Amino acid sequence: MAGIVCRTVNRIISSQASCSTSMVAVRHSHWFTSVLSLKTSMPLRAEPKKKKKVDPRREIMMKERLKKKLKRLEKVPPELIPIEDFITPAKCFDETRIRDAPKLSFEESERRALLLKEWSRYKYAQHQTEMDAIKEALEAQRQALDELKLESEELYKAAVSPDTDIFPFQHEGPSYTPPITNYEAPEGKYNNITRVYTQ
Amino acid sequence: MAAPFTRVCRPLWRIITTTTLNKGARNISSSRQQWSAQNVKTAVAASPWALHGAVCLQRLPVVSQDRSPIEEEFMELMHQMELERSLLSDHELRLLEDAARMSRKQEEDYDSDEEDEDYRDKEIVTAQDLEDTWEQKLKQFQPAPRSQGVDKKDMGSSERCLADSLILLVKKDVGSQKLWLLPQIQWQMGETLRQTAERALASLPGADLKATFLGNAPCGFYKYKYPKDIQKEDSVGAKVFFFKAVLSSHKHLPLEKNSFAWVKKDELQDFLKPEYLKQVRRFIMAL
Repeated sequence: MAGIVCRTVNRIISSQASCSTSMVAVRHSHWFTSVLSLKTSMPLRAEPKKKKKVDPRREIMMKERLKKKLKRLEKVPPELIPIEDFITPAKCFDETRIRDAPKLSFEESERRALLLKEWSRYKYAQHQTEMDAIKEALEAQRQALDELKLESEELYKAAVSPDTDIFPFQHEGPSYTPPITNYEAPEGKYNNITRVYTQ
Repeated sequence: MAAPFTRVCRPLWRIITTTTLNKGARNISSSRQQWSAQNVKTAVAASPWALHGAVCLQRLPVVSQDRSPIEEEFMELMHQMELERSLLSDHELRLLEDAARMSRKQEEDYDSDEEDEDYRDKEIVTAQDLEDTWEQKLKQFQPAPRSQGVDKKDMGSSERCLADSLILLVKKDVGSQKLWLLPQIQWQMGETLRQTAERALASLPGADLKATFLGNAPCGFYKYKYPKDIQKEDSVGAKVFFFKAVLSSHKHLPLEKNSFAWVKKDELQDFLKPEYLKQVRRFIMAL
């Protein structure tokens, strides 16, 4: 039995020696096991890591802290959007831009005062006529509805019911010159420099 | 809309004549309950008044009105006062600078080295040059003339007086006469009066007019009695309810002069009968 083992060992050694002389790739390091086994590196063969129980709790705590920080940031009231019309631009305070005030003669100032008074009278008369016209039209409509009520209740109800299709109502108002028929407006380039604020 | 109110009610079958034919005493009715009961009993068909729906089609002004003398004066004054109270703009500052530079160049002891770095030897485009180029460019654009060249007397064209609002009138046979009226048509059972007015507009021969009706309620009415010989028990006269509409599409097809007319408010008296005109004028606003 021992002799057989010795013989087999000798054969292996001799074969290994012969292998060593014939083959180039030979592992001399003790870290490497036999060539015939699978190639494994150190970390793969190491003992598996123990997951500490404290870690998931720590991660949860981290997340909560971050959420609290975010909430604190969000609680800050949003910055108000500045109204550009209410901020006087710096150009207006430039002293070099002040015009020389003209000296008005007495006649000129008198003429201006009288014209302003005339204008106020004119506008008042215009307003009165407008108001009267509106009142007249409303009165005419009221009487028409009364007559319609006398005629038939159904038609009256249909007339008094609100009209949903009229709004949105659009109409091009009067311009200085009438529109040119078949006019092609030239295309222009423009840079839009309006500031857009986000809250 | 009409505010709720109380008034003495008259029974339906004793409609009092209006200003059209002033006669008869006023019959003050019995109680209100009698009236309402009778109203429920008598359907629309039993009313002695025939119902008509009419449309007051307006072509709104396309061009602004000319200014009156006082408005012109005031506008001038306002421009002047605004100019006096304003600050110098960038363009004006530039003009002043250019003028100053030119005056400095004209002087005998002009030393070009004293000028700013930017303006020494370059070709300067003065603000005045810019103004001239802008004026030239403006002259290249030809706006349409305000009066549009259509004769004011041509009643059939809707391009007549662009600065005023025009009403459409139609010549129609009423009884034995041919009268100028706002387009109207008889009411049929089962439709609202507004639909009647729309039908009246659509049924105009040869006119393809698209209009937007302003609301369901009529803006005015006109009541007239038939002449005595036609009057029967159940047809005393007719009531016409007017509905306002605004012309939406601009069709340049001229309409027949003899049957259609676009008129301003002050020209209405040449076309309409006095009593009819009196009622129609109330709701047409020509401001």
